Amino acid sequence: MRVRSTRRMPAALVALVALSLVVAACAPAATQAPPAATEVQAPAATEAPAATEAMDPMAELVAAAQAEGMLTTIALPDDWCNYREVIDTFKAKYGLEVNELNPDAGSGDEIEAIKANMNNPGPQAPDVVDVGFSFGEANVDLFTPYKVATWDSIPDSAKDPDGIWYGDYYGVMAFLVNTDVQPEVPQDWADLLDPMYQGQVALSGDPRVSNQAIQAVYASGLANGGSLDNAQPGLDFFAQLNAGGSGNFIPVIANNGLVAKGETPVRITWDYNGLSAIDSFAGNPAAVLVVPASGRFGGVYVQAISAYAPHPNAAKLWMEFLYSDEGQILWMKGYCHPIREEDMRARGVIPADLLAKLPDVSGAVFPSNEQLAAAATLITGQWDTVVGANVQAAP
Amino acid sequence: MSTQASSGPASNERSRAARIFTRRAFPLWSWLWFILGALYFILPLYATLDFSLRMERDTIGLKAYAEAFADPGFARTFGYSVFLAVVTILVSILLVVPTAYWIRLRLPEARRIVEFITLLPFVIPAIILVFGMIRIYSSPVNLPFTDIRLLAPLTTSKFGTNVLIVAGYIVLGLPYMYRSVDTGMRTVDVRTLTEAAQSLGANWLTIMARVVLPNVRTALLSGALLTFAIVVGEVVLASYLGLPTFGPYLFLLGQHRAYEPAALTFTTFLLTWAAMGIIQLVTGGQGQVAGAH
Amino acid sequence: MAPSAVPAPRVKRPTSGLRAWLGVVPFFLFAILFLILPSIKLFVGAFADNEGQFTFKNILQLFTEPSILNAYWLSIRISAVTAIGGGIFGFLLAYSVTIGGLPKALRTMLITFSGVASNFAGVPLAFAFVATLGRTGFVTALLKDVFHFSIYDTGFSLYSFAGLSFTYMYFQFPLMVLIMAPALDGLKREWREAAENLGASRTQYWLRVALPVLLPSILGSMILLFGNAFGAYATAYALTGGALPIVTIQIGAQIRGDVLHNPGLGYAMAMGMVFIMAVSLAGYSWLQGRTERWLR
Repeated sequence: MRVRSTRRMPAALVALVALSLVVAACAPAATQAPPAATEVQAPAATEAPAATEAMDPMAELVAAAQAEGMLTTIALPDDWCNYREVIDTFKAKYGLEVNELNPDAGSGDEIEAIKANMNNPGPQAPDVVDVGFSFGEANVDLFTPYKVATWDSIPDSAKDPDGIWYGDYYGVMAFLVNTDVQPEVPQDWADLLDPMYQGQVALSGDPRVSNQAIQAVYASGLANGGSLDNAQPGLDFFAQLNAGGSGNFIPVIANNGLVAKGETPVRITWDYNGLSAIDSFAGNPAAVLVVPASGRFGGVYVQAISAYAPHPNAAKLWMEFLYSDEGQILWMKGYCHPIREEDMRARGVIPADLLAKLPDVSGAVFPSNEQLAAAATLITGQWDTVVGANVQAAP
Repeated sequence: MSTQASSGPASNERSRAARIFTRRAFPLWSWLWFILGALYFILPLYATLDFSLRMERDTIGLKAYAEAFADPGFARTFGYSVFLAVVTILVSILLVVPTAYWIRLRLPEARRIVEFITLLPFVIPAIILVFGMIRIYSSPVNLPFTDIRLLAPLTTSKFGTNVLIVAGYIVLGLPYMYRSVDTGMRTVDVRTLTEAAQSLGANWLTIMARVVLPNVRTALLSGALLTFAIVVGEVVLASYLGLPTFGPYLFLLGQHRAYEPAALTFTTFLLTWAAMGIIQLVTGGQGQVAGAH
Repeated sequence: MAPSAVPAPRVKRPTSGLRAWLGVVPFFLFAILFLILPSIKLFVGAFADNEGQFTFKNILQLFTEPSILNAYWLSIRISAVTAIGGGIFGFLLAYSVTIGGLPKALRTMLITFSGVASNFAGVPLAFAFVATLGRTGFVTALLKDVFHFSIYDTGFSLYSFAGLSFTYMYFQFPLMVLIMAPALDGLKREWREAAENLGASRTQYWLRVALPVLLPSILGSMILLFGNAFGAYATAYALTGGALPIVTIQIGAQIRGDVLHNPGLGYAMAMGMVFIMAVSLAGYSWLQGRTERWLR
């Protein structure tokens, strides 16, 4: 009896495994058919409206959004660009619910979320995304175009001409310095090479994976003889900084805890991250943010509406809110430079105390998508060999 | 001492005396290893505690703890994680206990396969398992070569996503749970208990509920605690599925705040340890915490 | 009629082998749905490129690209070091609270602590060690202030292979303790007494009786520790920022990274990992079989 059952066992198992193989192979990974009825054509009136027409279409939009009742966002942490207040203000102003998905998602995760929910009208599908610059251009087929009322005051270099994606805010790569541990504050990239910073300078991510870290390396090149078209000097700079492992570069991923502890007293990060960190430290430790004197590198984030958004009108209303002066100023409170900053400065609508808090970032350069992609490929590919743990001291 | 097998009362006396003396000797080396181990384990915890107490400049205080617990996100995510942990533990028990029991009693041939399966989560890196699971269940599952839909994509509904994450957690905790229960059953000798119960006229349900489960209580508890620790600390699965559990919350907190993450880390560690300790006390330390293999 | 005759037990034996298998169907169903299928997905995915076409390129890259080979070698080295180191000290710890004669309370404390510590990993663990042994760590400061000994001047750095290994021990020691404590309990006292009766000294007892019995268990646990370290990801990432390119970090970068995006290669690397782990687990299984003889 036992013998029979053991002989049947492998057969049954093989059958089960075979079945699973077939099922797995058939699980579709290919592109989905376009969704049936979830796309609502944008009423013509809301596209690039003239200023005088803004009232009526806006009221229509508000009504349509309220009929939908909900907006689904993703990857918007409370402390990032003051999103907590942005979302709360939006909710209070229009009475919509905001379903916040996964605040710690990265840009890649946001795109994945759109792809994974293409046929899903439920609350898991994001309506709007806020992603890194290169993600906008790379995923145009996932977005639906929309031009907000204030479209013209968005700089051309920061938006897609057809309105598929549009820059929302930017930051400039800067140094967050714990002055309790390191009172000598570096003023520029070259200062970081000074021996007094031995083992004190850290990046905020892994340069082979994290956009923030990659752009930090890219930025350092600007002050080191490189340009937006040539990121190699950035790698060379970090090779020098690392000096084969005994230099100023400490290969741990810096976060605010480590800065406060004093383990990574000089953290290279976006200026808005640094400024909100200083707020959260509340004097313990004392810290300052320095935007390097040369090599000012701007990183732009972009907004887009998902082509498969379950609540397209709520999404459009959200965009109108974000790009209104009110929304842009709320971002400014989170230390992010809103994309319409120049226009708003010219019109004098920014409160003086806010203006005082934002660091001077004049002269910041913004790479194009092609330049970013090229730099990213170079840096992620070459990091290990040029800077990695096994490298000898650079000459 | 002679190496020959000695016999006779005199040599027996001598060895018994020797035994008594060896037992009385102070276990110096044991204390040494233990103290070294204790230092290694406690110092990093102490460092975390020390850092978490220094949120206010130049003073030692509990401000970091107050801030951490006051944050509504903490209660929300921790509560949700606890809920998921409880569900995971219950389903795990329902899945593992009957299987372990059945294998012990009726189907020893399956033992190798089941043990192999429970070791799979060790062999295959978690990030892959998770990714594979999500890829499969975010599209509808059809009968092969047809359009007959067997299962709607799980990730489209809140409930489906919760099912997916619980399944993932069960998979992650499976090695510990199964091993725990299996060892527990071995210690308790379920075969005899079953036969006794059956001879008294019990049916399967009664046997399961009133004979087997109570007797493997300790094993269940230790497996449950390990599963709890895994669920509460898990980050990858939850962030992939976009569910607001404690792991991603702590991770995000660590990105922005300095002192609160240390406070939370220390607290959760201490609480879990205390819970395990209490359970050991309550069950009288019966059997070891047969957790991991 | 013998008054002590017990009526035959009514445990029914299934008449056909297949019906017995019904009892484990739920478990197998679960395993297939959530374990086997994803694993197969991995297997299949390793042979697909970014467009979904079948290709051997990913597997080939495993053997040809030096950075990948380095990653594997590094992972193997760190896993081996922490398995052996963790195994030895874990064994000594387990010994000290079982046979070693320490009070029972200490044993309970160690075992429960091990249960928690074996899951303590990732950013919190990295931070804890930075706070202890980093440049501004309190042990570093203590050694400098009290003993005038600066460990960083000797070339030690927490952010190195040695530092990472040392940190890994935090979940390796406990795992070893959890496995070895029951095994050490299984060392029957009668054997010790028999050995003494036959005139063996402590050393001889250990060398000739205890260790040979325990060896399969010890080696098997070390293999488990190896696998545990091999699959670790979050701690290494947090502590070294990717400066130590172990395999799991590479896989994460390929599958999840925003920039390098070749999931097929990630799957292929994972398959390589699975192969290595499977070999070690096979070893563990075989060694377990040898041990069970003694510990029943």
